[in-house]
Amino acid sequence: MANSLTQRSIQKLRSTRVWRSIFRRGPARTNRSRSLAIFGNLFLHVLPVKVREKSLRVRATYYLGSVCFFLFLILTATGILLMFYYHPAVPQAYRDMKDLRFVVSSGVFLRNLHRLAGHAMVVAVFWHMFHVFFRGGYKPPHEFNWVVGVGLLLLTLFLSYTGYLLPWDQLAFWAITVGTNIISYMPILGRPMRFLLLGGNIIGENALLRFYVLHCVVLPAVAVILIGVHLWRVQKDGGLTVREEHERENQL
Amino acid sequence: MPESDTATSVAGRRAENGGGETDRRDFLNGIAAAALGVTGLGTVVTITKYLSPNVLFEPPTSFRIGPPDDYPVNSVTYIADQQVYVVRTAMGFVAESAICTHLGCITQWKPELDQIACPCHGSRFNRDGTVAQGPAPRPLSHFGIRLTPDGNLLVDRLEILPQTQILKV
Amino acid sequence: MSEKTNYEAGFGSDATRDPQRIVFITRKTSAKVTGAPGRQLMSYPHVVLREAIVFQILTIVLVSVALLWDAPLEQLADPQLTPNPAKAPWYFLGLQELLHYFPPFVAGILIPSLVVLALVVIPYFNVNVEGAPLWSNARPRRLVVFGVVLAVLLALLGVYRAWTIIVPTVVVGGLVFLSYFIPPGKGRAFEFLRSRALSWWVMTWFIVVAIVLTEVGIYFRGPGWSWVWPWR
Repeated sequence: MANSLTQRSIQKLRSTRVWRSIFRRGPARTNRSRSLAIFGNLFLHVLPVKVREKSLRVRATYYLGSVCFFLFLILTATGILLMFYYHPAVPQAYRDMKDLRFVVSSGVFLRNLHRLAGHAMVVAVFWHMFHVFFRGGYKPPHEFNWVVGVGLLLLTLFLSYTGYLLPWDQLAFWAITVGTNIISYMPILGRPMRFLLLGGNIIGENALLRFYVLHCVVLPAVAVILIGVHLWRVQKDGGLTVREEHERENQL
Repeated sequence: MPESDTATSVAGRRAENGGGETDRRDFLNGIAAAALGVTGLGTVVTITKYLSPNVLFEPPTSFRIGPPDDYPVNSVTYIADQQVYVVRTAMGFVAESAICTHLGCITQWKPELDQIACPCHGSRFNRDGTVAQGPAPRPLSHFGIRLTPDGNLLVDRLEILPQTQILKV
Repeated sequence: MSEKTNYEAGFGSDATRDPQRIVFITRKTSAKVTGAPGRQLMSYPHVVLREAIVFQILTIVLVSVALLWDAPLEQLADPQLTPNPAKAPWYFLGLQELLHYFPPFVAGILIPSLVVLALVVIPYFNVNVEGAPLWSNARPRRLVVFGVVLAVLLALLGVYRAWTIIVPTVVVGGLVFLSYFIPPGKGRAFEFLRSRALSWWVMTWFIVVAIVLTEVGIYFRGPGWSWVWPWR
């Protein structure tokens, strides 16, 4: 099929100077250029150049880690789009939610997708954690990566919690009331932490703004850093673990 | 020139110099570390103070609730915008917080039960604020209440009274 | 530097004047996964392609559901009106159910902190790394110890009348107990139960309790956090 018109035009395009200045590796037909595709790329070089075939099977990991990561990407994209119409002010926030639902094109779809992906993210990170536990993926030398993973779990819960307040409806307000009152039961630090988190003593406009900044800026930034560390450590610790039973199959 | 500060080379230096040069280096290192520590601590404290608001735009904490005659004897009146119960008994007035002491939900006065009930986890309080049943750990707070010179009752949320204190009118 | 490892060394000339790198190639230079290496594939295209497929399937599923199911929006937040019942987001409802039984400090601060601490510590507890089954050794003694621990746990839960925790604990504990008596060679399901390690049982118990608490919090709790049957 090397001689069809599209193939030839693509080949011509790829041989231009401009193209070759951007994409330097050439077509991925040799193992050398396939290696370059990974470690010559800023984003992809978090992956190893070669992987064990057994770790690619669906039943090895169910791709749960990848699912968590892709959910994060979807949440970021929908979240940024939602930010264009949302004012973190009382009671404007609630009116914006109604706006998104009835007035904004695809507003209801984007909000649905964001909320759904948020719930799915909580489920996925728990499932991913339990699956890593049951296949022993936390054992040395992967211990620290497990700890980073627990940190990501807490980040996910906190991201979901801060996002829950933003619609400023009854459901949001009282869910957060209960949660912040639990924090005040922590000895010594409880009340000051609640004061800092809410920016005051009551759940009002200060609290909404702080939760908004946490949800959209601080926590995602920390999450990006930790996700980077987490993915990097998978490679550096020696790659994905596969359960003992799967190891023993097809032993060469 | 020694290349790295491993344990062996420091001990070696100390042995050679009889405690002179190395002590000065360690001393200066200590000062630098202390300076960094103070900077770090100062940064954390400054950021925390920055994040703690000094001015709060929250509802006023002391408010008037009208003359005593507005409240019949042996009644419980709920003031919605301040979340306070004004309880008048034969002996006098008590102003109680309507916020459940368990997790902060707003309670409701149920005259048919003669109790104050919290919808969140089923706590119930008596008229005087003591816990009748449920997971609430403490009785409802009694706020400061006094009679102003012009004959109105004034409630102050920031003043917490003992459970037994009643304003006699 | 002082251990006796197999290494090869190369050297340069006078190191102080003309420093050169010395290369030590030890036997184990990087972390390695235990188990046979097996066949390896190039990440490009194999991993990249599979990840792209996973992303597409995920997106299609999410978009389809998002088109059909609307996110809820209740009335404007009213600080003076507490809805009855006032429920946390679903992933915290297990915690809220715990709050019903235990004092707020225990249920809200202590237990979650202990759970997180336990999770973090798991990989550093180098006990039973091979995953030997619970009943593989010292069988009668382990059975007695297990029975005592279970009894103490149930008694503690009983003091607080935490039924939604007691019931799953009894079920899982019962399974552990029964697995003691399973003889070898009775089929895959029995063999599976029989060969589980203690860490597996503990984690399974934790997951079952968490799921039961969450389900109860979502479906079986109504006004005043009273017990309701969801079909009524």
